[in-house]
Amino acid sequence: MQKEYIHIVLADDDEDDRLFFTDAFSELKMSTKVQTYNDGVALMDYLNQEDAILPNVLFLDLNMPRKSGIECLQEIKSNSKFDNIAIAIYSTSSSEEHIEETFVLGANIYIKKPNDFNALKKVLSDVITINWQYHTSGLNKENFLLRM
Amino acid sequence: MNILSFYRSPIFLRIVFVLSIAIIFFIAAVTYKQINALTNSSNQVLNTYNVAVELEKMYTYINDLETAKRDYIASNDQTIKFAIKIHQKEIEKALLKVEKITKGNKTQREYLKILRSLIKHKYYIVNSILAKDYSNGILGSTELNNDFLSGKKVMYDIRKVINKMITIEESLLNKRNSIYKDNQKTTPLYIYLTLLITLVLLVLSYVKMSKDLNNIKSYNNELLVSNESSNLSEIVGNYGTWQLNLDTNKYTFSDNEYRLLGYEPKAFKANLDDFMKHIHPDDYEMVKEVTLKMIYQEVLPSFTYRIYKTNGELRHFRASGRVVTKSEERILIGTTTDVTEVIIANQEIEERNRILESNNKELQAFNYVASHDLQEPLRKIETFISRLIDKDLDNLSESGQQYLSRINAAAGRMRILIDDLLQFSRTTRAEQVFMKTDLNELLENAKQEQAQLIEEKKAIINNETLPELEVVPFQIQQLFSNLINNSIKYSKENIPPVINISITEVDTESDEKINSITNTKFYKIIFSDNGIGFEQEYADKIFTLFTRLHNKDEYAGTGIGLAICKKIIENHKGYIFANSEIDRGSTFTIYLPKEI
Repeated sequence: MQKEYIHIVLADDDEDDRLFFTDAFSELKMSTKVQTYNDGVALMDYLNQEDAILPNVLFLDLNMPRKSGIECLQEIKSNSKFDNIAIAIYSTSSSEEHIEETFVLGANIYIKKPNDFNALKKVLSDVITINWQYHTSGLNKENFLLRM
Repeated sequence: MNILSFYRSPIFLRIVFVLSIAIIFFIAAVTYKQINALTNSSNQVLNTYNVAVELEKMYTYINDLETAKRDYIASNDQTIKFAIKIHQKEIEKALLKVEKITKGNKTQREYLKILRSLIKHKYYIVNSILAKDYSNGILGSTELNNDFLSGKKVMYDIRKVINKMITIEESLLNKRNSIYKDNQKTTPLYIYLTLLITLVLLVLSYVKMSKDLNNIKSYNNELLVSNESSNLSEIVGNYGTWQLNLDTNKYTFSDNEYRLLGYEPKAFKANLDDFMKHIHPDDYEMVKEVTLKMIYQEVLPSFTYRIYKTNGELRHFRASGRVVTKSEERILIGTTTDVTEVIIANQEIEERNRILESNNKELQAFNYVASHDLQEPLRKIETFISRLIDKDLDNLSESGQQYLSRINAAAGRMRILIDDLLQFSRTTRAEQVFMKTDLNELLENAKQEQAQLIEEKKAIINNETLPELEVVPFQIQQLFSNLINNSIKYSKENIPPVINISITEVDTESDEKINSITNTKFYKIIFSDNGIGFEQEYADKIFTLFTRLHNKDEYAGTGIGLAICKKIIENHKGYIFANSEIDRGSTFTIYLPKEI
């Protein structure tokens, strides 16, 4: 089945953030399909369904109840079924430890949640339009953190 | 061997002693010999006289015999025969006596033999006369005359021999006398000389002995003093010493060893059991084992154990010991130190460390809260404001629009506060790596950071060439950046800010402001500006957290920037001072040690 849209999934426990996220995409007017989950467990339940449509880009919040973003990242990276999913870390924190850890675990990009809605729209559109092929092959810490 | 060292050695005394005894024996022997010789001499003299006397006596008897013979011829008295017999006997007796006295002399014996044969001849003549009968008196006849004179020649010969013998005795006496006299002269000289030598030796030994005695006395004094000082140091240092002679198995405890256990010194005879009974039951086996090891291993690290003093007080002792071998005796020497205070202090330090660590963890937790949890609601507030401004600004009343912009400003200020606080807490964290860095580079980076502000205010920054230094690069960059920012922020209106950065080398002696024990050489970096300045009384206060001298409407700021500067300088073991006067600009002086 030929996909006409980019399938995007977000796992974030914060309701406001999920709202900003979906609002930003609806305002961007790109052909995307956005799905959100409340925490890591819900996300993994979805991904592990046999007939699940796997997302093109997965946004992972780090600090979630029940199953953290780091744990989800580890599970996804240990299963070859999910090899084609591009993973973007989507977090409030920009601490060196978190950036370092997620990079080592194999995340593709790290986004610090902006405090301006327009900035959010810009960063999300940037992420979606990245040539993922290029970004994933040249794993490079320099362009891992997407700066605004 | 050198004479002086020989004199000092104990062998010298022994030799003097043996020599003195030998000399005394020698003198005794000489004296004995001398007295012997004297007795001998007087005996000889006596002997000589005796010989002469006896010879004279004998001659008299012979004369008597002659007279008796003549009497007989004249009177023809038969009784005279009897008298003659008596005279003969007396002559024999005298002869025997002389023989006896002159026993040792060969020449005298020869003469005696001659004398004897002459006397025999005399007897023969007398006997032949006695056989005749003169009763018919043929006085005046030739035969009678011949008989009368018959003994005369023999008598003459006898006299001659006797005289010879007496002469020999006399010459002998003379000879002996001269030998005796010689002896008398030389012997006292020898004795005197040897006595003199003995005296000298005795004086030397006396001097040496008194010197040795003095030395021993002074050594003894020194020993007493050092003993007293070691006693004192044991009391001050709170330690005691003990010894175990491994050959005799005898223990010796120092006075303080008793005191450590709560006894008076020498309260009991030093022994292992009385000591071991004070040891805490849990440590007993360990102490026993280590003590055994000490004997065989000779050198052992110190170990700690607990004891109960006589009054039941629990103390911690640290002990160590080792075996020394002195003049073939193996002695285990040990020290016992009361380390209770040290251990208690250590426990306190550990406790404080634990508290510090938990405090530190709390701080880190706060850091996380500040960096994450506080930022999150703020970020949402700001995002909602941005949405509100984008979408619904036109629907608000004028005052509503004003409130919204106020809310926006306040949120922005809060963001700056949180960011600055985070930065401040980051400078306290342990992740500091010192590396040799070119300070000029750091200054350039700091200028880049502040580029927008510099351009905006048309600020001019002049700096001397800075050195390379062992620093935490990002912190020093932050320091420069904050100082530049501070100077530009508090610049005078409509006057372009000018910042001059100068550097000199100083040491602790020449600069009374710095007083460091570990470092003596410092770089003194001065940032001076032409800004609004401040009153000198606030010079210390401005470095404390959240201190602001101006209303935030006049000058933006959080009161954290200079506190961060101070923290960074403290991390580098340096100093920072501020000098200022209102309207005359400010000067910030930094001291950074040349070597960390």
